[in-house]
Amino acid sequence: MKKLLSILLVLLMVLSLSACGQKEEPAAPAEEGEGKVFHIYAWNEEFKGFFEKYYKVPEGIEVVWTIVPNEGTQYQDALDLALMNQESAAADEKVDMFLAEADYILKYTNSDYTQDIKALGVTNFANTYPYTVEAASDASGVVKGVSFQCCPAGMIYRRSIAEDVLGTSDPDEVQAAVADWAKFDEVAAKCAEKGYLMTSSYAEDYRVFSNNTSSPWVDADNNLQIDPAIQTWMDQAEAYVKNGYTLTSGVWDAETTEQAAKDGKAFCFFGPAWYYNFCMGPAFGADAVAAGTDSVGDWGLCDGPQAFFWGGTWLLAATGSDNPTMLADVMDKFINDEEVCTNLIKNEAQFTNNQAVNNKFAEDPEFGNPYLGGQNDTAVFAEGAKNIKFQNQTIYDQGCNESLQTYFVEYLQGNVTKEEALNNFYKALHEKYPAIKVPEA
Amino acid sequence: MKNTNKKARFLLIISRILAYGFVIFLCFLCLFCFLLLILMASKSNSQMQGAFNFRWGGHFMENLYNAWNDFSINIPVGMVNSFIVAMSSAIITTYFSALTAYGIHVYNFKLKNVVFTFIMAIMMIPSQVSAVGFIQLAYKFGLTNKLWLLIIPSVAAPVVFFYMKQYLESVLPIEMVEAARIDGSNEFRIFNEIVLPIMKPAVAVQMIFSFVSSWNNYFMPALLLTKEKYKTVPIMIANLRSADYSKFDQGKVFMFILLAILPVMIVYTILSKSIIKGVTSGSVKG
Amino acid sequence: MAKGNEKKHRKSVSYAKWAYIFITPFFISYILFTLIPQFLTVYNSFFENYRNGLEQVGPNFVGLGNYIKLLTPDSSGTIDFLRYLGNSLAMWIAGAVPQFLIALLLAVLFTSSRLNLKGQGIAKTIIYMPNLIMASAFSMLVFSLFSNVGPVNKFLIDAGILKEYYNFFATKISVRTIIACMNFIMWFGNTTIVLMAGIMGIDQSLFESANLDGANSLHVFFDITLPLLMPILSYALITSMIGGIQMFDVPQVISNGKGTPNMTSTTVIMMLNNYLGISKNYGMSGALSVMLFIITGILGMLVYRSLARQYKD
Repeated sequence: MKKLLSILLVLLMVLSLSACGQKEEPAAPAEEGEGKVFHIYAWNEEFKGFFEKYYKVPEGIEVVWTIVPNEGTQYQDALDLALMNQESAAADEKVDMFLAEADYILKYTNSDYTQDIKALGVTNFANTYPYTVEAASDASGVVKGVSFQCCPAGMIYRRSIAEDVLGTSDPDEVQAAVADWAKFDEVAAKCAEKGYLMTSSYAEDYRVFSNNTSSPWVDADNNLQIDPAIQTWMDQAEAYVKNGYTLTSGVWDAETTEQAAKDGKAFCFFGPAWYYNFCMGPAFGADAVAAGTDSVGDWGLCDGPQAFFWGGTWLLAATGSDNPTMLADVMDKFINDEEVCTNLIKNEAQFTNNQAVNNKFAEDPEFGNPYLGGQNDTAVFAEGAKNIKFQNQTIYDQGCNESLQTYFVEYLQGNVTKEEALNNFYKALHEKYPAIKVPEA
Repeated sequence: MKNTNKKARFLLIISRILAYGFVIFLCFLCLFCFLLLILMASKSNSQMQGAFNFRWGGHFMENLYNAWNDFSINIPVGMVNSFIVAMSSAIITTYFSALTAYGIHVYNFKLKNVVFTFIMAIMMIPSQVSAVGFIQLAYKFGLTNKLWLLIIPSVAAPVVFFYMKQYLESVLPIEMVEAARIDGSNEFRIFNEIVLPIMKPAVAVQMIFSFVSSWNNYFMPALLLTKEKYKTVPIMIANLRSADYSKFDQGKVFMFILLAILPVMIVYTILSKSIIKGVTSGSVKG
Repeated sequence: MAKGNEKKHRKSVSYAKWAYIFITPFFISYILFTLIPQFLTVYNSFFENYRNGLEQVGPNFVGLGNYIKLLTPDSSGTIDFLRYLGNSLAMWIAGAVPQFLIALLLAVLFTSSRLNLKGQGIAKTIIYMPNLIMASAFSMLVFSLFSNVGPVNKFLIDAGILKEYYNFFATKISVRTIIACMNFIMWFGNTTIVLMAGIMGIDQSLFESANLDGANSLHVFFDITLPLLMPILSYALITSMIGGIQMFDVPQVISNGKGTPNMTSTTVIMMLNNYLGISKNYGMSGALSVMLFIITGILGMLVYRSLARQYKD
């Protein structure tokens, strides 16, 4: 009977078209005290692809992926339910590792659902960027996971406009011209004189400010507070819109990205490598190139007024994992294994969390990005990444950052007063996060 | 006499022209939406990051190929799962709603009004609300990744029930049921063999609607179906949407949305025929 | 199923047990899969119960606290819940009026044996198609059509009607009009089908004898079609109203989940969605749903009653 059943099961698995090896029935009891199934939660296939290509799974262990798309809060909902049921779950159903983004990583690192990875044996952080470790640590500094990729960002500027406005397109000289926000304002004024825009969205540089705040969004008593850096951004956005230095469209709106095309007028954009490599279609897309409306090669990269990062994926260790050895090994390999990291850069266009490997590519004179006219962007990021800070974070950041931008722009567009805009922002926050105390709500 | 005939004919032609014009205009409006979707499905991701225009993107086949071969999703599996869920729910929901409506419509029993008012009341409760509790309970009892859990609850569909009840009210002569009883038919047979055929147009209509809503349902299935082989079409579309930046391809997303409509159109075409058939057979008069 | 037994009592009373048999599956399923979760909702509405990150707050009994919170005016004197309900209703009515008029007209045209329109099959398929496109995808399409650099603005500027682009998504009237139009396009085909099935269910001999009597089309429509269609029409109206109050997808995507401009396209379900989102605020969302249930119930009964009366006259 058992044989028949197992044959049937094998048949079923062969027949099932999904090739990712889902687990049907619990396998034989785990040997050597560790589980036979390594269970990973993720919201997309990115890491899965790297994992399957570059990580050698120990024999006898099956890797099971649960992938819940990140629409709304679905991924976190499913993950939370699984983590809360972790204790009562069957050994092979237990979550071993899960992926998290910077926006909500704190929710998990600050909870008991994640565990200390140093205790598991991941101890070598010599080559990682400090901010990635800060992000994966809880309030008392216990490290709960690692980041396998690093997303330092910079200012991507238009060389032809820089030439016209500043008389130079050299990254170092442009960097000197925008070294701080006061200088940035001066360049914006000069751009406007020549009929250019400084940025093409009021929120283009928002993340630069929000990454460099001096206080968290919410104080110890859960009162909402608007940091001076955010205040500066609001003033800047207001002035820029008033002076015609920027537009009132959002970062992802077509109106904004169009300004990166051949006849676009925006001087600069802010973002990490993935931003220009994948999200600036009108500037670099194959169709734009074919139609001759692209701006390939007309761009340069520098640090910009302040260092910041955008995006990135962290691997966190789930409490109650029954595969601690493999868990530690996966994390260690993706930050310390030279071969894995080299492959990530060479084959996958990643900026890894291993300074030594990144620096090797940064120093390679042959290495460069055609979009940026052959400039070695890894070299810029390798420097910039050291200065990034992960600080003053709260579990509410995603909601605060997004809501502020959407409701504040209504004021910039002249539809509501500043007070109304801020009130709408407070209301939206209060609905989303009942724990936050907002002014008069 | 001849004159009035001519006038009537003339009027008929005029009203026909007007009617055709009106219908064609509305069809154009609807087709426009559909053509937009096809147009979107012909564009590459980078084209879609810029301003939208009516030019053909020229990536239709490429998007089709990419969507079909995307390694993270398996379109045929998704379609089969969606079809199983949508078809079973459509059948179950229409049958049991018709049965319930019939039970309340033809019989006199003590709780008749209470039951009817009750069902009408629960129809007003937003579905989002019970969904949350439902999912919590499903997780508690370990009922994730079970397709039947998306099918069985459709036995109780107040909206469909309401429609069936209203339909019966306007079409079912009670005498017909009584006549059948005299012939010695048992109640189940009366319902299955006499009442259900009369309700064919209504059943077809509600089958279409519940098929479509179940086919497009995302919220619940997304939380309940986490294993690849059980995922339905909307979850796969969401999967594509939540792909990482290097693989994110809006063209693929629109292509899949377009593909997902095809099975629904087929079901619709088949069922809409039976709406017409149900009437031309003139079964109402018995 | 003793046959003899059945024959003995042919009075309708004796069939009562069949009624219970027929409605039992509905109620079992309802209780198991809907009532219990719904009961949880009502229960939750009396508690403070939400999540702050992964930390569970409550449930702490607060009595009617959540309801009071929901119905307390803010500093400017508005009650957000009622304001959002007003938004939903306004956008529903703007779309539903043309939806019902046109659907009614179409249903009559399609079923008219005098006009005997050709190509109905295709037409009926086409008008139903917008309902098949996922609402969120449809909203994305419309969004790019009307965006600042979209074809609509381009056309208006090229035609000299506008000097510079018009931001369709920044003014109340245009956002609401767009949403209402989308609802109309998505749902009029659906309503047409419902009404058509209703008209086709009407005893054809009534039409035939009316025609023989020489009644004109308007008379036939108001004296035969409409009264007999009333049950189905009231079904369509009430369900459309419920759908309107529960409007979500279209405004959510069109306003990027923010209900802009100035919260005038925020619907009640968007509010519910915010409560249920990241913080799983079962307390407030429970109270909101109970309120929504009460309001929908009252409105639904009003519509049903008034239509039912009209139909009986």
